[in-house]
Amino acid sequence: MFFLYNLTAWQGVRYSHGHCRQFCNPPAFRGIYYMEHKSSLFQKVFLLTLGPKDAIVNIYCNGCCISKVNVVMARKQRQNKSGRGSTLIVSIILTFIIFGAVVYFLTGQVSSQMSQSAIDNLSESLGLLRGTIQTVLQKEAEFQKLIAQELALLEEPEAFVCSYHTNETMIKMSIIPVGENSGISNTGEVFSAEELDFSFGKEIDGLPLSGSYINDMGTWAYTISCPVIKNGIQTATLYIEYIYDSLEEALPPKFYNNNATLYVMDARSERFVLKPKGIGERAAGHLNLQDFYNANRILEPDVQAMVSESIQEGDNVMFYHDVRKRESLIYMWSVNDGALYLIGYVPIDSIQQEGKAVNQHIFIVVMVMLAAFLICCMLYFLNERQKSHIRKEQEQERELHNQQLTQALQAAQIASSSKTMFLSNMSHDIRTPMNAILGFTTLLAREADNPARVREYTKKITASGQHLLGLINDVLDVSKIESGKAVLTLGEFTLDSMISSIDAIIRPMAKGKHQKFDVTVSGIKHERLIGDETRMNQILINLLSNSVKYTPEGGHIQLRILGLEPRSSQFEHLKIEVEDDGYGMTPEYLKVIFDAFTRAENSTTNKVQGTGLGMAITKNIVEMMGGTIHVSSQVDEGTLFTVELELRIPDETADGKFWKEKGIRRILAVDDEPYILDNIRTLMKATGVITDISSDGEDALRQIRQAGEKGYTYDLILMDWNMPGMDGIETAGQIREYAGERPCILFLTACDWEGIKEKAEGIGVDGFLSKPFFVSALKEKLLELCSSVDDEKVPAETISDNFLKGRHFLVAEDNEINSEILLELLGGEGASCTVTENGREAVDVFAAAEPGTYDAILMDVQMPVMNGYDATREIRASDHSDAASIPIIAMTANAFAEDVKNALDAGMNDHIAKPIDIEIIKKILGNYLKQYRKKEQT
Amino acid sequence: MKKKRNQIKGILLTLNLLLLGLTACGKEPDAASNLITDTDSAKRVVNMFTPMEKANPNAENSARTAHDLTVMAAEEALGLQVEYRTYTAENYQEKTYDEVLVDRARNNMDDIYLMNPDTLMLLNGEGHLADLSSLESAKNLRDVVKVANTVNGKLIGIPQEVVAYGLFVNKDMFDQYQLGLPNTPEEFLECCRVFKENGIETPVGANRWWLETFVLAQGYAELYNGGNTEADIAALNNGETKMSEYMRPGFLFLKELMDKGYIDAEKALVSEAIEAEGPDFLAGKTPIVIAYWGAAISETAYGKPDFNMQVIGFPSSMGQMPVVSLTGYGISAEAEHLEDAMAILDFIVSDEMLQLYTDNNQVISPSRNVEVDCIDALKPLNDKINEGLYVLGSNANMKVEQWGNICLVVRQLLGGATVDECMAEFDRIQAEVLGQ
Repeated sequence: MFFLYNLTAWQGVRYSHGHCRQFCNPPAFRGIYYMEHKSSLFQKVFLLTLGPKDAIVNIYCNGCCISKVNVVMARKQRQNKSGRGSTLIVSIILTFIIFGAVVYFLTGQVSSQMSQSAIDNLSESLGLLRGTIQTVLQKEAEFQKLIAQELALLEEPEAFVCSYHTNETMIKMSIIPVGENSGISNTGEVFSAEELDFSFGKEIDGLPLSGSYINDMGTWAYTISCPVIKNGIQTATLYIEYIYDSLEEALPPKFYNNNATLYVMDARSERFVLKPKGIGERAAGHLNLQDFYNANRILEPDVQAMVSESIQEGDNVMFYHDVRKRESLIYMWSVNDGALYLIGYVPIDSIQQEGKAVNQHIFIVVMVMLAAFLICCMLYFLNERQKSHIRKEQEQERELHNQQLTQALQAAQIASSSKTMFLSNMSHDIRTPMNAILGFTTLLAREADNPARVREYTKKITASGQHLLGLINDVLDVSKIESGKAVLTLGEFTLDSMISSIDAIIRPMAKGKHQKFDVTVSGIKHERLIGDETRMNQILINLLSNSVKYTPEGGHIQLRILGLEPRSSQFEHLKIEVEDDGYGMTPEYLKVIFDAFTRAENSTTNKVQGTGLGMAITKNIVEMMGGTIHVSSQVDEGTLFTVELELRIPDETADGKFWKEKGIRRILAVDDEPYILDNIRTLMKATGVITDISSDGEDALRQIRQAGEKGYTYDLILMDWNMPGMDGIETAGQIREYAGERPCILFLTACDWEGIKEKAEGIGVDGFLSKPFFVSALKEKLLELCSSVDDEKVPAETISDNFLKGRHFLVAEDNEINSEILLELLGGEGASCTVTENGREAVDVFAAAEPGTYDAILMDVQMPVMNGYDATREIRASDHSDAASIPIIAMTANAFAEDVKNALDAGMNDHIAKPIDIEIIKKILGNYLKQYRKKEQT
Repeated sequence: MKKKRNQIKGILLTLNLLLLGLTACGKEPDAASNLITDTDSAKRVVNMFTPMEKANPNAENSARTAHDLTVMAAEEALGLQVEYRTYTAENYQEKTYDEVLVDRARNNMDDIYLMNPDTLMLLNGEGHLADLSSLESAKNLRDVVKVANTVNGKLIGIPQEVVAYGLFVNKDMFDQYQLGLPNTPEEFLECCRVFKENGIETPVGANRWWLETFVLAQGYAELYNGGNTEADIAALNNGETKMSEYMRPGFLFLKELMDKGYIDAEKALVSEAIEAEGPDFLAGKTPIVIAYWGAAISETAYGKPDFNMQVIGFPSSMGQMPVVSLTGYGISAEAEHLEDAMAILDFIVSDEMLQLYTDNNQVISPSRNVEVDCIDALKPLNDKINEGLYVLGSNANMKVEQWGNICLVVRQLLGGATVDECMAEFDRIQAEVLGQ
C-alpha cells in the first residue's frame, strides 16, 4: 500500500499497488512527489506527470513508469464521501417522515376507533336512559290500567277517585264518565278534559298521552287517559296527571362527569320539560329547542331542518357541533316513539378522555422515541465528527510531517549543494593563497641571495597568509556561532568610538574604490550604550565591506544610524541602515543571503573574493543581540540592509561638572542641515549646556552679536565647514573679528580636514570634529585641546622602535615551530626568551627566577600538563614578587572574543591571536612594558 | 473533558427516561379496595326558582353571570349545591312566571324564590314566606329596601339589586327633531306628537309588563316626595283616600298615548318585555322604551346601542321620576332546606357578594355599604335616585299591592277598558283588600 503526496499542491491519493512495470521514457517533468511505503521505511523521490486532461497521473521511479492514478476518480471519491453524508440525512428525514406518517395513521386509527367507541358508548347510555324513562312511563300506564280495571269493578268509581291522595308521581286523578263533558278529580274539583291536548297521537302502552303543560304545582306535567271498561263496555275515562319531575331520579346525576347536558323535551311543543340536577341557570338554553340552539350557537338552517325532520319522524339524532368553542356531540334521543326527546350535548374530549389519554401517551412515547433517536443520531454524528476531526488532524499532521520532510529534503539538497559548492570554493580559495605561499617559498629558496626578490616574495607570502588567515577566522567564527558557543561580551561603549573605528576601516577601502562614504546619525538620545562593541563593529564592517565590495567604483555608500522611539526608557532603540547603489541582488539570492556558504556570483562580481560567511555571521550576531536584520535589493540599483537593535543605556553619570570646569555654558551650532542641528541639540540636552542653533553663517553672526547685546557670550561654536553662502572659514573669520579669541570654534565636517587645516588654523579655528556629532567626541576634543597645552609644557615620552632590545621574556609554547618562530622574531628585535613546553614548566621556571628576570610572559593556552589559564592563575597566586605585576600576554590560536575574555579572567593582561604578527606583539608589549617599567621605577 | 461531559449527558438522559417510564407505569390498584366512592350522596342541596331569559346566540348575559358568581361563591363557602328550577313563558298565552311561582310556592316545591313585589306580597299574605330579618346581611340594607319589603316588622324579601325603571330614549332622535328630554306628561306628549308627525309610527315601545311605571310615577310622585308619605299611605290603607285618585292621571295619560297612536296597545298587550319593542328601539325606529336599570348594561337588552342612549325618569308633575322596584329573594316558610336556604341567601346578599354583583352588573346595590360606578347612559336616572327623587313600585306598607294590581289593570286598559272602568276596578280591589 502506498500513500502518494504532492509535495507542492496535490493533496494525496491512496494508491493500491506500486510494483514497477514496463520501462518507459519519463515524459515532461511536472513536479516532485514523495511516496511513502507503508510496509517499509522506503522513501524515494518520484517523478510524476499528468496525462490527457490531467486525469491520469503517471508515476515514475528511476525513469520507470510504475503506475497511473486516476485523479478524477480520486476527486469523485471525495465527492462521494460528501454525497454519502447528504444521503444519510435524506435517509433520516425519510425515516422520520415514514415514522411520523405511520404514527399519525395509527393515532388517527386509534382516535377514530376511540371516537366510534365513545359514540357507541354514548348511544348505549342514551338508549339505557330512554329505556328507563320508557319503563317508567310503561309502568305508569300499566298501573293506570290496573286502577281502571279496579274502577270498573266499583259501583261508584268517582268515590274511589276522590279518595285518592296525591303522591310524587301521580299528581292528580280524574274520571269522566262516558257521555259527559266533565267529571271529578281527586282534589274535589270539577275536571274537564278540554284543556288537555291528545292530538299529538302518541300513546303509552296503548293509552293516549297528552301534550306537556304546566300544572297547578307550577311544574311540567302530562296526563294519560285510560278507558274504564266494564263488561266490554267503556263506562268512563280515567285521567291521571304525572309530573316530569318524577323522571328526574331516572336521569344520571353526573352524566359524563357533569360535562354533558341532558334535557327531556316535549317533542310537539319543543319545550324542555325536565332538566336534571346540576343543570341550572348557569348553563343557559334550557327553555326550549330554539333556546338550546341559541345558547349553543347551533344556528345553521340545514342542521335545524335536519333535526326538525328527524324529530317529526321520531328518529334519533346525533351530530358534531362546536359548543362554546369545544367540539361536541349533540344528541337528541327519541323516547316513547318520539313523544319525548332526550336532548343535550357532550364535548368530544369528555367522551374521549381515554382516547385523549391514549393519544397523549402515544405522543409522549413517540416524542421520547424521537428524542432518543435524535440523541442517538446526534451522538453518532458527534462521534463521526470527532473521528473525522481526528482523521483530519492526523492527515494534517501527516501532511505537515511530509511538508517538513520535503523542506528538510530540499534544505538538505540545497545544503548539500551549497556545501559542495563551498568546498569547491574553499578548495579554490585556500589553494590560491597556499599556491602563492608555496610558490613564492620555492622562489624564495631559489632567490635567497637576492634581497630585493626575497623582500618582494616575503611580502607576497605575507599577503597570501593574511588572506588565508581571514578565511580561517570567518570559517571558525561561523562554526562557533552555529554551534551556539558564541557569547557576547557586554561593555560600555560610545557610538562615537564605534563609528570612528568603522570609519577608519571603511573609509580607506571606499576611497580606494573612489566611492563616496557618508555617515549620518540622527535621533540618538544616548550615545553611550552597553553592548558588545566588537560584535557591533563586526556587523557594521561586514555590511559596509560588502557594500564596498559589491559597489562599483565611483559608487555611494551610506551608513545611517537612527534613533527610534524607544520601547523602554532603559534601552536605546537603534536602526542602522547601510545603503549602496551597487550591483544589487536577485530575488532568488535574497532568499539565501543569510545562509552560510552562499555568495552572490555573476559575471560582474565573480572576481570578488569572500568566504560567503559574512552575512550568516552578521545575521547570527544580530539575532544574538535580540535584533533583526532585513535586506532589500534590486539588481543594478543597489542594496539596503536594515538592522534594528535595542541596546541598554548605562546609568547616566552627570557630566555637567565637566562642562562647568571647562567653562562651557552656552554653545552655538551652525549647520545648513536641520537634522544635524537637531541631533546636536538632542545630544547636548543631557549636558546642561544651552545649545543655540543657526542654519548659516550670517545668522550665526547675528546671533553672536545679539548675545553680546544681551550680555552673554557663546563659549563654543560648532560650525559646519561647508555651508552655502558664507562658508565656515569666512564665518569663523568674522567671528574672530567680532568676538576675539573667547569663543572656541570647532569645525564640524565630514570631509578630510587636512586640506583646510592650515587655512582654518590660520583664522583661529581651534580644531575639527568629524561628523556625525557626538558629545563624547566633543569632550575628547576639548580635553585634547586642553592637554595639547599641557603637552607643550611636558615633552612627550616617546617609545623607541627598538624598545624590545635587551628584554627577556618567558615563553610557554608546546609547539616547537611556533616557539622557534617567536624566538626568531623576538630575537630579531634584540630580545631573548626562555622557552618552556607547558604551563607547569613555565610556573616552575618563573617561581625559580629572580625578581625582574622576565619583562613579560608570553603564554600559549592549549598546552599539555597545564594549560595557559591555570598556569597564569598559579603565577598570579604565587608569592613571587613579580607575580602580580608581570605582564602575561596570551598568545594563542584561540582567537574568539570569549577566548580573550577567558584570558583576561585568568589574570592575563592581554591577548594576541596566532599567527604571530611581530607588529602586533610590539604594539601590545609596548603598552605593557612602558607601564611595567613605570611601576618598577616607582 | 468533552467526552466526559457527553457521558454525563447520556447518563442524565437515561435516568430521565427511566423516571418517565416508572411514572407511566403507575400503581396497581388494591384488589380488596372499593373502587367506587360516592361523594355526592351527602351533598346538601338548596332549590332555587328563578326566571330565565331566553338565550341570545350573540350575547353574554352579565346579570346572570353576576348572580352565578355569587351563588358559586356561596356553594363553595357553605358546601352546598344550589339547584335551579326555572320557568319562562314562551308567550302571553302561557302561564306567567309569577303564576308558576305562586303555584310552586303554594305546593312547597322549592326553597328560594326570586319574586316580584306583588308576588312577595301575595305569598306573604298567604303565609308562605319566611321572615328574613334575622339574617346578618339584612342589617346593611338601605332604608328604602327595608321599607319596601317589610310587612309588620317581617322582612319578606331581599334583593341583590335595586331595580330602577326608567325611560330609555334615543337622544340622537330627540336631537334630530330638536326636542328636549321630557320632564312632565305634557312635554312627553308633545315629543310624541313631534315624532309621530315626523313619521315615527310608534314613538313609545311597550309590552304588557311595564306600562304601569307611567301610572306609578304620575300617581305617587307627590306621595313619596311630598313630605307626607306616611300619612298618605295611612289614608290609602284605611280607605280615606281612594287608590283610583292616584291612578287616574296615569291612566288618562296612557289612554291618550293609546288614542293618539303613540303606543301600539294591541301589540303591547301580547308582547313580552323587550321582545317586541327592543329591536325597533335598537334599530332607531322607536325613540322611547321602558326598561329597568340592568337593561342598559346587559347585551341581551340595550347594552350596546348604536346611538346616544339616555335613561331618564318617567314624566311627572315633579319632573323626571324613576320608579324603583325591588325584585327580591324570598324563602319558603316551609322550605325543605330552610336553614341552608337562609345561609345561602345571607351569603349572596352580604356586602362582599353585593359588591361583586354590583361590580359586574353596575346596578344600585341594596346595601348602603356598596356604591355603584354607573355608565354614562344611566347617570340621569342615578342622579335622581341619589337626590332621593323616586317612586316605589311596591310598598309592603301599603295594604293594597301596587305593582301587580296596576299592571293587571293597565292590561285591561290595553284590552279596551275605559279609564273609569279601570278606576272602578281599583276601587273594587281596594275595598276588597281593606274589607279583608
